[in-house]
Amino acid sequence: MKYPNTRSDKLSEGPLDSRTVIGFYHVDLAYDDQKAVDNVSFTVPNGEFLCLTGPSGAGKSSILRLIAMDAFPTKGEVMVRGMLSSKMSRRKVPRLRREIGFVFQDFRLLEDRSVEDNISFVQLVVGIPRAQIVTNNMRVLTQVGLYDKRHRLPRQLSGGEQQRVAIARAMVNSPKILLADEPTGNLDPVTAQEIIDLLFRINDSGTSVIFSTHDHGIVKSFGQRVIVMNDGRITSDEKRRVPVDRSVSLADRMYRATGRKDIVNA
Amino acid sequence: MLNRAQSAHLIRESFAGFHRRKLTTGVTILIMGSALLVLAILTLATLNMGHMLESARAGIDMRVFLNDGLGPERMAALQPRLLAIPGVQKVAWISPETALGQFKEGLGEDAEIVDLLDANPLPASYHLTMTPGARNQESVEKVREEIAVWEEVSEILFNQGWIDALESWTFRFRMASLVVGLIVFVAAVFVISNTVKLTMASSARIIQIQKLVGATNAFIRTPYLCEGMIQGLLAGILAMGLLAAAGYVLNDRLGGLVFFTGGQIAGFILFCVVLGLTGSYSAMRKYLTMQSEI
Repeated sequence: MKYPNTRSDKLSEGPLDSRTVIGFYHVDLAYDDQKAVDNVSFTVPNGEFLCLTGPSGAGKSSILRLIAMDAFPTKGEVMVRGMLSSKMSRRKVPRLRREIGFVFQDFRLLEDRSVEDNISFVQLVVGIPRAQIVTNNMRVLTQVGLYDKRHRLPRQLSGGEQQRVAIARAMVNSPKILLADEPTGNLDPVTAQEIIDLLFRINDSGTSVIFSTHDHGIVKSFGQRVIVMNDGRITSDEKRRVPVDRSVSLADRMYRATGRKDIVNA
Repeated sequence: MLNRAQSAHLIRESFAGFHRRKLTTGVTILIMGSALLVLAILTLATLNMGHMLESARAGIDMRVFLNDGLGPERMAALQPRLLAIPGVQKVAWISPETALGQFKEGLGEDAEIVDLLDANPLPASYHLTMTPGARNQESVEKVREEIAVWEEVSEILFNQGWIDALESWTFRFRMASLVVGLIVFVAAVFVISNTVKLTMASSARIIQIQKLVGATNAFIRTPYLCEGMIQGLLAGILAMGLLAAAGYVLNDRLGGLVFFTGGQIAGFILFCVVLGLTGSYSAMRKYLTMQSEI
């Protein structure tokens, strides 16, 4: 696929493809003199599940920061939901963030607030009325299986449960994009697979998911598009033809992903 | 425009910090209160010293002795002329008899000596009291110069040494107040600002997460600013309460101690609220401009 070369190439008129929710066009990102992203170009159509992989320091997190407009390209252009990085003011960033859900390896929950308050907060930010917040909380917490634990503080939950709260928080405002940065990094393989399943379910509802991981086992279990990065560059961008077989048992998929029978039999 | 849920959230969050960070908030208020107490003590000391100096200045007066042989009408005519001089507040006529009585009173047990005199040697005089604004060396000197040329006047006396000393002490006191006040003020602001920053540091991660989920800076900042204002208010009340208690105890021993008026107390507490607000605002800026560390 050919990407426009400069900022003047029609980008200001909007995305090249109306289905494109994220577009990277010859993007460089440098911290001081260190290049974290080097001439990266790719687009993500609406509803895609994209797996971003590569070793630590490959530039995966920088790609996510660029999508969240937490960092801005030193060269090139990033387009997210029709908003261009070159035209993005700091004041507009919160508006963009409300259309993106975030899930992190370290959960990033508000530690001093209950599960329910964590979910409520993102809704208060966008101005959802109280009655609607209560209904939404019930819906998402039931979906992630934590409604009974809604009054607990994050530290009173297991790692997997905390990650499910983070996912509930990410999906409650029905974001168009979900960024998951090593969301399974702190979890055991079974819980990790549960989290991945949850992300697939979110993707099924039409949300584009960008899933970053350095775990090859997890990547292998994916039947979706996988971008491999190294030293800030894209080394491969492969769209797998065979979709993941959701009918395969969790135990089988875990075995395929990890190659460890002890986990499966546990 | 905020909806009801958002407004309720911001109000609740403004007070929630006190519950969530009991120890940090308690220590912050204590440190702020101590710094403000030092500032209040200095302000009160300045106020009392100023009051004492002003009382001392009230003693600045002038005696205008008249020549012998002036008729009562001529002497009486001097009174309006003296009152018309700028800086003169009050003029009191002292007849030779009154002057003698005062003199005898001053002699105490030796007053009988005066009875040995054949005639009253004391001249008639006027006692001038200066207006508060004219109780200084320059103004007194001007009045003296104006009266000295009058032919009815034989002598003018005023407490030159006292005025000189008072002028010198007033200058030194003002300089010392200014320097010490400035140092204490800067120190108080520094201590308060750093204490608030410490509170903020404990909330840095929470602020980052709030930014990440799309909260605007104003939405994040408002509860912290309110919290800073409440902390300032409580610290101000603490400082003023401690000072009032100390003043109550010391007043019996020192007597005549001047305390802040209601308006001054309100002003001081308002100053503390503004201090808490600005401390929080400057501390917040650092965290709001930080990146989200995705």
